[in-house]
Amino acid sequence: MNNLTIVGKKIPKRDAPLKATGSAVYIQDLKIPGMLHGKILYSKYPHARITGLDTSMAEKLPGVRAVVTASDMPANFRIGVMKDNPPLKTGKVLSIRDEIAAVAAISPEIAEEALSLIKVEYEELPGTFDPLEAMKEGAPLIHEEAKSNILKMPWKLVCGDVEAAKKESAFIVEDTFSTPWVTHCCLGTSGCVAQLDAKNNLTLYSNTQIPSLAQNDYIEALNAFGLKGKRVRIVQSVIGGAFGSKLDTYAYEYIAILLALKTRKPVKIVFSREEEFFATSPRQCTITKISHGCDKEGRLTFREMEMVLDNGAYTSWGATTPSVMMLPISSLYKVPNVKYVAKCVYTNNTYSQAMRGYGNPQATFAIESSLDQLAEKAGIDPYELRLKNANEPGEITPQRFKITSCGMKECIDEVVKRLDWKGKKGKGGNRGVGMASLIHVGGGARVYKSDGCGTIIKMDDFGKVDVFTGASDIGQGSETIIAQIVAEVLGIPIDDVNVINNDTDICPWDVGVHASRTTFVAGNAALGAAKKIKAQILEIAAKLLEEEPASLDIKNGVVFSVKNSEKTIPLGKALRKLHYTLGGNMLMAEYFYDPANENFDKEFKGNLSVSYAYGAHGVEVEVDRETGKVKILNYIAAHDVGKAINPMLLEGQIYGGGLMGLGYALGEKMIYEKGYLKNGNFLDYKMPTVKDIPPVQAVIVETDEKDGPFGAKGIGEPGLVPTAPAIANAIYDAVGVRIKDLPITPEKVLAALREKEGQTHK
Amino acid sequence: MRGYEYFKPKTIEEAIKLMGSIEGAQYIAGGTDVMVMLRQKKIAPRCMISLRNISDLSYIDTNDGLRIGSAATHSAIEENEYIKRRYCALNDATTHLGSRQIRNVATIGGNICNAAPSADTACPLLVLDARAIIVGPKGSRELALDDFFLGPGKTALEKGEIVKEFVMPRFDESTGSAYIKHTRRQAMDLPILGIAARITISVKSGSEVRCKDMFCTIDSISNILSRLKEEGMRCVDARIAMGVVAPRPIRAKKAEAALTGKIISPELFEEIGDIAAGEAQPRDSIRGEAWYRREMIRVLVKRALIKSIDRVIRPDEAIYPERLW
Repeated sequence: MNNLTIVGKKIPKRDAPLKATGSAVYIQDLKIPGMLHGKILYSKYPHARITGLDTSMAEKLPGVRAVVTASDMPANFRIGVMKDNPPLKTGKVLSIRDEIAAVAAISPEIAEEALSLIKVEYEELPGTFDPLEAMKEGAPLIHEEAKSNILKMPWKLVCGDVEAAKKESAFIVEDTFSTPWVTHCCLGTSGCVAQLDAKNNLTLYSNTQIPSLAQNDYIEALNAFGLKGKRVRIVQSVIGGAFGSKLDTYAYEYIAILLALKTRKPVKIVFSREEEFFATSPRQCTITKISHGCDKEGRLTFREMEMVLDNGAYTSWGATTPSVMMLPISSLYKVPNVKYVAKCVYTNNTYSQAMRGYGNPQATFAIESSLDQLAEKAGIDPYELRLKNANEPGEITPQRFKITSCGMKECIDEVVKRLDWKGKKGKGGNRGVGMASLIHVGGGARVYKSDGCGTIIKMDDFGKVDVFTGASDIGQGSETIIAQIVAEVLGIPIDDVNVINNDTDICPWDVGVHASRTTFVAGNAALGAAKKIKAQILEIAAKLLEEEPASLDIKNGVVFSVKNSEKTIPLGKALRKLHYTLGGNMLMAEYFYDPANENFDKEFKGNLSVSYAYGAHGVEVEVDRETGKVKILNYIAAHDVGKAINPMLLEGQIYGGGLMGLGYALGEKMIYEKGYLKNGNFLDYKMPTVKDIPPVQAVIVETDEKDGPFGAKGIGEPGLVPTAPAIANAIYDAVGVRIKDLPITPEKVLAALREKEGQTHK
Repeated sequence: MRGYEYFKPKTIEEAIKLMGSIEGAQYIAGGTDVMVMLRQKKIAPRCMISLRNISDLSYIDTNDGLRIGSAATHSAIEENEYIKRRYCALNDATTHLGSRQIRNVATIGGNICNAAPSADTACPLLVLDARAIIVGPKGSRELALDDFFLGPGKTALEKGEIVKEFVMPRFDESTGSAYIKHTRRQAMDLPILGIAARITISVKSGSEVRCKDMFCTIDSISNILSRLKEEGMRCVDARIAMGVVAPRPIRAKKAEAALTGKIISPELFEEIGDIAAGEAQPRDSIRGEAWYRREMIRVLVKRALIKSIDRVIRPDEAIYPERLW
């Protein structure tokens, strides 16, 4: 481990030059001969009955090749986690993103014009837009056949005895916190091109983050269309960000397939920025009741949380985020007694999806805010309370997570030291410090039956290798990480490693880019394949050099004898000797890595991940008492990453996560009014800009995870998890007001300050 | 997006003639507003007449007062050293509009003629007593900027007319100005509220302001104002303009009148803030709540005024003061 030459080095992302020069081919850039352009007609109302639909004018428009409606889709075909979403709607529309019809035409402009010629008549229905209202008796039913707006997906976790623990607690706090709808803001908008060959085998050019699972979805769709036994190939273009948004398949993709079937031409559907805002699936809003207790010494006794999540009109993975929320709820700090109940509720809003953190940011905002309240009540410094209850290696948490490596205390200490916590806490002057910690899966997550990833390595005649991995690069840099791992193991320059990761026809299976799993799982798969092919290489070279394989190694693409440095053979030469001989052979190795983690049992317990990532963020703020504005003066983000395979990319993940968290904390909110999105653009959706970035120190804590590739754990999501509560806690330290509803806008801070001072505004 | 014809006249006269001869034509300069409206289908012109190739329209002339050609870009204004020192409010506005890329193409004429209540350069031009020189089919005319804005997107321009330039008087060294753009983000944002101020001051003895150094400290505004009061600082002349609080950028004339001729004091500034707030009709929108905007008028009018004073008494340091104001 000490002699690493490529792993652990700051190596720029391989695709950076392509992206910086504009030569990367995104789905937007893709052109296929004969390709048509598809556009979708969305509902005008969030809840209405369709009483008339006339597409005849649109069909007559020159340049239009097909117009499709629900009647062109197989009657009972539904998509989504609960199969509650027909790709084209008939009868009733449930949200403003409901797809009613679609057009394929020879240009996007003609397709757009055709949409305006489609006549839809509606009978508006009373809607329900607030999950709390939607749960009440008599609320308009979204899915009438479901008989209730509460999803039949009950989330309940019970560990120990919360009621008994309450009686024994010296201090108890209770409060309610809420978080808004926020969207991923991928710079590359959604899109696909569907192409069918003469035998109706489908190729879908896509920017999905789950190629193998999506393949399965489309095979099902083709079956529904009566096309049994067809092949589906997914080819990913360069993906301009996903952050969880592309974890499911969507109506627009099925519509593209339908239009391609109708027209016998490739059909491209690419979202405009407006569509990207209102017609993709964001992180849902939540309302959380939390109570927390500790004993006289400040040891946590229980944590109880009750949560309502706005599911929106249909069901995607957003509905399953409570499963990951359970992770911080049961296991962030040592807390013996835990109870958590969550309900997802249908409304006439957009429908929710996973977004970086998968529920963890919502849960951690409540937990870490509440923990500061508890510290104040117990008269303990919030830092000491955290340290006292911090997780440790070897611990088995109430949800049965087996904590292996754990750098939580180190992270907290880094924050305290670098922020000058003791010098700055409670010092007034409108300045304050706050902190929050995180736990997240860092060694895969067994949410499906498999958590695996396959890798194939093929060696060419020149000593270079092609690595075929199931893991998609969605901008996070997995291609670079995998190349580093393979180059390190094989002792070849990183430029000699070619990574192929975007075609299901040639890449092995992978469950998808989620759960911060790619470096860990795909990294281990690449490691395994590289070790296998290295053993083969050494065996061949051993014969050629008349040595034992065990006494050989590879450096800079040359096999050499450890005992006798005179004895060398370049990799390419060894490979050619293997090829160009009677009874010759080629070199190829495959490896499938599936971590030894567990699915949750019926009680939602089990060791979901083989290792857990930790971190702590600390922030110093200054609050302008007259305007309510919050300025971040200093930001420390310390992360236990196991081992930094590439510190440059790792820091990028921490900065990017921190900034996304900052947007969540202080600015971002999708403003829905009665089901209509009011700020579906970058002007009014307050995503931070480069000028809003505070000074961020990314601190890397290495704990050498035994199961990780070279000791690494996942880091994709953790960067944004503790940002919002750290800022909320710092604001409280600065001016004594606690904002419990994200985002923390100047209006809310000023109103809270006025309330505290017993004033109302003039 | 429908296609349109595109003309590139070389002179104002040619542009005006084209406008007169083509039905449904639209002037375009930097295009940072026009192209957005086009994409949002708020306009659908059959033809665009670009003003970018008219060479004598983008000058900045500082020989006597200030004359800015309407096609001068925000970047050009932002980088002008004379404007930085003598017309600080305008510099404040041009440095905070959109992004660098937008400022490189967006023109001051476009920002004013688009007549958004939130237009960043409008409030500075109002407090700097700017007059618009307008050229049209019937010849040229001059209009005080306060008479130029009629409502959201509505100006006093008649068909075919072009704003040729903005003319501002010369201000002596006892005058300072400032514009505060209150936003949620540091860039790429429209103001929740925009406040511009200009103040001309005199000190009793005519000597230097003794409490000058307080401006470099974190002392409160009211303490500084108390000291200015002790030193007998008087407001000789004042302008206050407010954006996003009415259908058009407006002057707070009652507040200006209440300030002019008075000795500066904390009480006076509180009162001025209240009066200005009373002159506004802010509304609730997704960008900001009415009560908050009204509150911010009180805060920011005070801050814009003291920032202006700061620029008079510390002209060398006060261009980008790091203080809260």
